[in-house]
Amino acid sequence: MKILILNSGSSSIKFQFIDTTEQKAIVKGLVERIGIKGSRIIYNREGEPIVHFEGDILDHQMAIEYILGILKSKKYGVVKDLKEISAVGHRVVHGGEKFKDSVLLTDEVIKEIEKTSDLAPLHNPSNLKGIYAIKALLPDIPQVAVFDTAFHQTMPKYAYMYALPYSLYEMYKIRRYGFHGTSHRYVSLKVSEFLNMDLNKLRIITCHLGNGASIAAIKYGKSIDTSMGLTPVEGLMMGTRVGDLDIGAFIHILEKEKLSPQIGRVLVNKHSGVLGISGISSDMREVESAANNGHERAKLALEMYAYRLKKYIGAYIAVMNGLDILVFTGGIGENSDFMRELICSNMEYLGIKLDKEKNNGLRGEAQIISVDDSNVKVLVMPTNEELMIAMDTEKIVKHN
Amino acid sequence: MKRIIKERVEHFGLSDKERVKADFSEIGIIGCGRVGQQLAILFASRGMNVIFIELDEQLIHKAYKDIEIELDDRIAHWGLTNSEKRSILARISGTLNYHDLKNCDLVIETITTKSKLSAIEKHHKIFKKIEEHVSSKTIIASNSATLSITEMASGLEHPERCVIMHFSTTARESTLVEVARSIYTTEQVCQNVRKFITLLGKNYVRISESLGLVSVRTFIPMINEACNILTEMVSNIKDIDFIARKSMLLPMGPFELADRIGIDRLIRWLDNLYDEYGDKKFKAAPILRRLFRAGYYGRKVGRGFYYYDEHGHKIGIAYPHALSKSICDN
Repeated sequence: MKILILNSGSSSIKFQFIDTTEQKAIVKGLVERIGIKGSRIIYNREGEPIVHFEGDILDHQMAIEYILGILKSKKYGVVKDLKEISAVGHRVVHGGEKFKDSVLLTDEVIKEIEKTSDLAPLHNPSNLKGIYAIKALLPDIPQVAVFDTAFHQTMPKYAYMYALPYSLYEMYKIRRYGFHGTSHRYVSLKVSEFLNMDLNKLRIITCHLGNGASIAAIKYGKSIDTSMGLTPVEGLMMGTRVGDLDIGAFIHILEKEKLSPQIGRVLVNKHSGVLGISGISSDMREVESAANNGHERAKLALEMYAYRLKKYIGAYIAVMNGLDILVFTGGIGENSDFMRELICSNMEYLGIKLDKEKNNGLRGEAQIISVDDSNVKVLVMPTNEELMIAMDTEKIVKHN
Repeated sequence: MKRIIKERVEHFGLSDKERVKADFSEIGIIGCGRVGQQLAILFASRGMNVIFIELDEQLIHKAYKDIEIELDDRIAHWGLTNSEKRSILARISGTLNYHDLKNCDLVIETITTKSKLSAIEKHHKIFKKIEEHVSSKTIIASNSATLSITEMASGLEHPERCVIMHFSTTARESTLVEVARSIYTTEQVCQNVRKFITLLGKNYVRISESLGLVSVRTFIPMINEACNILTEMVSNIKDIDFIARKSMLLPMGPFELADRIGIDRLIRWLDNLYDEYGDKKFKAAPILRRLFRAGYYGRKVGRGFYYYDEHGHKIGIAYPHALSKSICDN
């Protein structure tokens, strides 16, 4: 089945055209600066030159119309007829409490997603624009929504509630939802396949460490806890996000600096994390290199990053009463042997023993990086959220 | 490294429907003083190209410099990142030539003049000049709060495209834009203005044409009355501000607000409103007039009711010394 995957942002759309039989992307691309001068589509086919399509792209619908036009064009196309596209899978950030799984997009479902926009005002409306556009351009094609939050809907109530007045949960559904669910789910599945073990008998911790980062405790195939909350700010220290922070400290900062909530949001989302501490960059490679050259704050940023992960790993081992597999994924998780070593150092008591030789230099490849007698298997597993969305879409379309 | 091929996207649509250029991709600003600079930053931060007109090269240079200082200040106060600053600056350009506005979808004027009579005349001339260089569809707006848009637009070839768009630039994070239509303005123009304001992430509030709009008419009497309270020696600057802040939970007191807005601007507004309504609540209090004549315009010049350091932080009470001693615990 050939499936178009769309990840629509406020002024961008990431897209992939995936052949699920081959389990690989035929085309990968990005539409930038929608509705803004200088908009363009970057279009990348395997083994072919990259093409930049430049010109005014006024809105999501026009962007998607161009994507479809390019996919079936004589010069750069990969289909002869748009009917070759069997379905469209959309990444939708927030599914609220309603969506515990990926779902076929009907008018009722779209209305429900519109209702959850309140919980993700920065993301869901953009995701919906992609859905509306396909509905207008290809009304007969099945569409599927895959939610970032859905995988974590199995968290028990005592894990997802904040200790705030209960009425806030009742009125506004203020609770922890977690994100990166598609990645955590994909990686846990892949790891069990890779090790040829039954997912339903494993206790897994998945560390999705990209510019945004989260960690999930997956017990017998179900997410029972994760580090992100109502928004992606909670949890681990990230590239530019603060992660866990005393809310009292935040209020104190707002008062001291006379900041509005809007500026406060920028402070914790864009100026904090690895960038805020190191003062250098949010890019882990640059920070590692500065730390190697003796930059004290870069070193501190790395130590804090690893320390916070260690604390979460310890906590999740406690809540799962043990651990079988620890997985690293995402840009940093897949590529930074240094960070993986820092996180896994001095964890023998908890059964984690890293094989430094296997870990050293390993980038973006699925592999075990723990020693043979480590109670916990430590692995690197590259994530592929788009493929997961494509597989979900195929499954749902076939069943309907 | 893969080779990159460039193509025009228009050749790859699904249909041959005629394509139009992006709405509001280029915005003109006439006058790039403090208000014009704030608007330039706002528009550019939303991805629009900004062309501002100033009277000479020196003023263009000053505007660039002030914009950069403002962006650095926002970075220092966590509101912006360095890369955002670079992309904002890249989208703003200054010029002396009205012809450079030719591709603008909307042009807004932010100029200031001292007397009302010359102000209307000056604004009217500017509107005419803009009209000579832009397309008939371009929206022509004024940021003025206390001048009549009907007067400014009258005599234009297309007066139906003129509108007041008053941005509250005193409060940087205000999300409000007051829109007042003239007697000529069409519903279509109002809808387009609404679209523009939504693109900026702001709230559109439409009101009837009325000098002072709602925002200026509501807070100006408060500042004037605070000045009267001060001259009656009921209380002092610091305590009046303290009481206003704490009793009404306002973010700043009337004197702090007056310094923030600028005493010169306040006097201009008050004179225009007094002239229009003839109501003594709009007659500028003598203290305000005195500060204005002395050139103590408030925060931007380092002195108004309070003294300010070079970063605009309040450092003490400036006027009048005899009335400024605080007698409460704040």
